[in-house]
Amino acid sequence: MSSGREPGMTEEHHHHRHEPKHERHEHRHDHKHDGRAPQEPAGPAAEPEDEAAGASAGPAAAQDKAPAVTGRQRLKAGLWPPRLTRAQLIVALLLFVLGLGLAIQVRTTSDNGTLRGARQEDLVRILTELDNRSQRLQDEKRGLESQRSELETSSDQAAEALKQTRQKARELGVLAGTEAAQGPGITLTITDPHGGVESDSLLDTVQELRAAGAEAIQINNVRVVAGTYFTDSGSGVRIDGHQVAQPYVVKVIGNPPDLEPALNIPGGVVQTLEKEQATADVVRSQKITVDALRPQKQPDYARSSQ
Amino acid sequence: MIAVLGLVVGVVVGLVVRPVVPSGFEPYLPIAVVAALDAVFGGLRAMLDGIFDDKVFVVSFLSNVVVAALIVFLGDKLGVGAQLSTGVVVVLGIRIFSNAAAIRRHVFRA
Repeated sequence: MSSGREPGMTEEHHHHRHEPKHERHEHRHDHKHDGRAPQEPAGPAAEPEDEAAGASAGPAAAQDKAPAVTGRQRLKAGLWPPRLTRAQLIVALLLFVLGLGLAIQVRTTSDNGTLRGARQEDLVRILTELDNRSQRLQDEKRGLESQRSELETSSDQAAEALKQTRQKARELGVLAGTEAAQGPGITLTITDPHGGVESDSLLDTVQELRAAGAEAIQINNVRVVAGTYFTDSGSGVRIDGHQVAQPYVVKVIGNPPDLEPALNIPGGVVQTLEKEQATADVVRSQKITVDALRPQKQPDYARSSQ
Repeated sequence: MIAVLGLVVGVVVGLVVRPVVPSGFEPYLPIAVVAALDAVFGGLRAMLDGIFDDKVFVVSFLSNVVVAALIVFLGDKLGVGAQLSTGVVVVLGIRIFSNAAAIRRHVFRA
């Protein structure tokens, strides 16, 4: 901005401010003029006119020059060069406020949707909807939780049942000879250098032990179970088809105070064996391991009826 | 020119500083902005017509903003806030359009 032109601007500005009616009138003139001669030169741009208005500052002069001032020229004059007048400053302040509001509004609208600018009734509606939704979700959560606890207890039950079933399977495996067993019992060692012991003696021994409560029996390395059979062979005894030679070591799991007397009773197993020129030696032990196993056989036809 | 600069600076400051509007004033901000836009367009038209007066502009700007916010506030109190704000926006929109048409006639002579 040139300082020389300053007074002129102010003058013109004052002129504008104090005589709006006149200006409007002049504007009408302007329109008519435009209508008659649309090619009115826009050439002598804003500057000469400003100076003229500044110099005369009179209504008559303005009326003389005004027809040349079109809206476009006023716009140009207003835009350039920038003038530091009070009107400009006030307008700038208001436009600053407007821009601020615009920016804030645009930002809040794009920031968090409609919630910030929403009115009370909308907010109440949204809140109600949210309440309903959270209620529904709470219900759903409760249902899922009860379902989960149900599943947990039922899976606990299933695990317990599985545990018990395994336990039972192990016990039955001990009886069936498919599981190794361990516990208190006795070891009966039959030494038979003369080959006097035959299958019936061993069978008697096993029967006697069973009657005394033996739970797991193993002769040498053959497990004795319910279906075990004894046959004589040339040099010894076959148990379940396995050749077994003396000395026969019978490991028995059961209650030792029951088992030992059962073998030693007069006319019992030990005396019978001694009659056959064999020696029978019974040793009690708190830890007998019966680890000879029988192969597990799936029944071909029988199925559990449960 | 300085006025245009003011607008630009206002937008930039609003975007950069991110001032917090008091929550009580928030529902009226969009209406106030539209009313201010109407005042600005009216002022621009007056400038092109050569009848621009800064006092008139200031008064019209402020009264536009206040009246628009007041109408919406009243509507909210009466339970017809949404309808009234729509009405205000429609009226101001029509005014903005007519002012824009006048400005266009000045600037493009068409």
